[in-house]
Amino acid sequence: MTTNIALRATNISKFFYQPEKFKVLKDVSFDVQKGEFLTLIGKSGSGKSTLLYVLSTMDTDFEGELEINGVSLKHKTQNELSAFRNEHIGFVFQFHYLLTEFSALQNVMLPALKLGKKSKEEIEHKAYEHLEMLDLKQQALKPANRLSGGQQQRVAIARALINDPSIIMGDEPTGNLDSKNTKVVFDIFKQLARQNGQTIIAVTHDDDFALNSDRVIELSDGCLLSSHTLHKHGF
Amino acid sequence: MLSSTNNSISAVHLTSNIRQTIVAVLSVTFGISMYVFMNSFMTGVNKSQSDLAFSTLAHVRVYNDGPKDNTNLLSGHLSNNQLVNIRNAKLIQYTDGIKNTKGIIALLQHQPEATGVAAQVNINVFFRAGATKVNGILSGVEVENENRLFGTAKFVTQGNWGNLQYRTDGVIIGSGLAKNLSLKVNDNLNVLTGDGVSKNFKIIGIFETSIAGVDKTKAYLNIASARQLLLKNQDYVTDIMMNVKDYNLSSIVAKKLAPQIPYKVESWQMANGQLEAGSSLRDIIAKAVSLTILLVAGFGIYNIMNMTVNQKIREIAILKAMGFSGTDVTQIFLTQALVIGCVGGLAGMMLGYLVADAVNHIPFKIAGLSTLPMAYEQKDYVMAFVFGIITTFIAGYLPARKASKIDPVTIIRG
Ligand SMILES: Nc1ncnc2c1ncn2[C@@H]1O[C@H](COP(=O)(O)OP(=O)(O)O)[C@@H](O)[C@H]1O
Ligand SMILES: [Mg+2]
Repeated sequence: MTTNIALRATNISKFFYQPEKFKVLKDVSFDVQKGEFLTLIGKSGSGKSTLLYVLSTMDTDFEGELEINGVSLKHKTQNELSAFRNEHIGFVFQFHYLLTEFSALQNVMLPALKLGKKSKEEIEHKAYEHLEMLDLKQQALKPANRLSGGQQQRVAIARALINDPSIIMGDEPTGNLDSKNTKVVFDIFKQLARQNGQTIIAVTHDDDFALNSDRVIELSDGCLLSSHTLHKHGF
Repeated sequence: MLSSTNNSISAVHLTSNIRQTIVAVLSVTFGISMYVFMNSFMTGVNKSQSDLAFSTLAHVRVYNDGPKDNTNLLSGHLSNNQLVNIRNAKLIQYTDGIKNTKGIIALLQHQPEATGVAAQVNINVFFRAGATKVNGILSGVEVENENRLFGTAKFVTQGNWGNLQYRTDGVIIGSGLAKNLSLKVNDNLNVLTGDGVSKNFKIIGIFETSIAGVDKTKAYLNIASARQLLLKNQDYVTDIMMNVKDYNLSSIVAKKLAPQIPYKVESWQMANGQLEAGSSLRDIIAKAVSLTILLVAGFGIYNIMNMTVNQKIREIAILKAMGFSGTDVTQIFLTQALVIGCVGGLAGMMLGYLVADAVNHIPFKIAGLSTLPMAYEQKDYVMAFVFGIITTFIAGYLPARKASKIDPVTIIRG
């Protein structure tokens, strides 16, 4: 049964060659179900970010197999992968990464404008909704570089959600947020997984955040250590 | 397909660092305006040179270039075992001038390229006044036709060109000739032909072309009087001059006519190679200088676009991470380069016009000119714009391609 599987990683290995040859990821294999809220934990330097870049299709320099929504991504061209990411994957980087010359609203709208499936008015309306949900309505028209770290991170989350991607990946998406906003983001993720069946994969250092997700997997020195199912997910 | 999303990203990039954009636009503006100015100036110089040259020179000239080579009269008539001795061979009959002039003039006038045809009777003579004797050319002309071809009337500084038509005893002489012979209007001028005929004429005008060689040796009279002086009939002509629509094509017209006319048909290029060489060399210099300036401007744009791409490397990585393709990124930066090229190009054409106009007002009083010459040709402006766009396109394409190849993870991973 592959129909319920959102993402399947099979024997993923990756090397860094600078400063010397070094195996960061060692035969990592796991499945993620559709609508599952998965958290990824592990010590600093264990390879969490590296794994997430592979899963997000941005890093193509790895060994093993990656399948998302039943589509193998191993042999796609860069431009095909760009289009695939645009439609199916929302990504929140570890260090927010907004386009500083654009307003918060424009940042959120850009992936949807690129996808081009909705009118500009619809996109703007939806972007405002997402910003409001993350308590950013007042900041919508400010240039991104005038926002605080926490605000930027929330704009990046709103941007990851704009195309209703089937998978949302976050690299410590709440790393810059206070406990109140962390709770808001957690609830949004939970709701997206429960109500829309969107899959969440989030790297976190926050134990509470991890313990309240559906499943936690732990990475240590590039190896997958354990996988704890905490809550049975479902609709 | 051009995406409006990509265009609006280009617009944000162009406006967010407006000073950098202005510098890039100015470098294009400068390059294009110099291209326009240099070429307008050279075209102007060439035009004034040809106007000057064509004040006495026809585009195409038909004349009898003398008897053929008769030094070996019997070649072809002798076999190997015959010996012949001819001493002191002389030509006893030779027709100078052109026969069947009416037919040839009609042929020339029927050419689609022809703008005017004029017949001349040119005589080598001695001009005499008192004890002074000057060797020169007395040119018998069809008064109206001559003026139509060469605009001779506008060089007449004293007297009236048209009077030549009615004054069979009148001549209009060059200013240098008048000075050398110490003559002025209404004085008498004696003319001695090679056949020993001498005749007095009245000076009814003075002309000045500013070409010293012409002004010092030439005099005009009515073609009928010239024939009379030589005791020739009403058909006698030494030269038939023809002007065509585009003087650059004179050689082609001459080549086409040559087989149909039993005389020498010569284009101005054949007769005056140095004129053509001069104008071609000036054209080459203008092109070389202006293309060099455009190249430098191109380097300016290349540098600025390269800098922009380097500054925005993080932004490019994010765009790609969000799903923008390499093609989108190329488009985003190429659009910026082309906007810079178009704005700079339009401004450059205007600035080029202003510079050309300013230079055109600088006084320059040599050889019949009053200010520095300048041409205002659409072609120069269009070419400048086209070259400008090509330069910016290439200068923008290289950094844009570099941007499109950026690997987002390498940048984002840090
Ligand atoms: N670009 C790189 N070149 C070489 N080594 C790297 C690079 N990026 C990360 N690493 C190394 O790979 C390991 C995993 O890094 P990372 O995935 O960032 O860990 P985490 O996100 O779990 O803290 C670390 O030892 C780190 O030093
Ligand atoms: Mg990390």
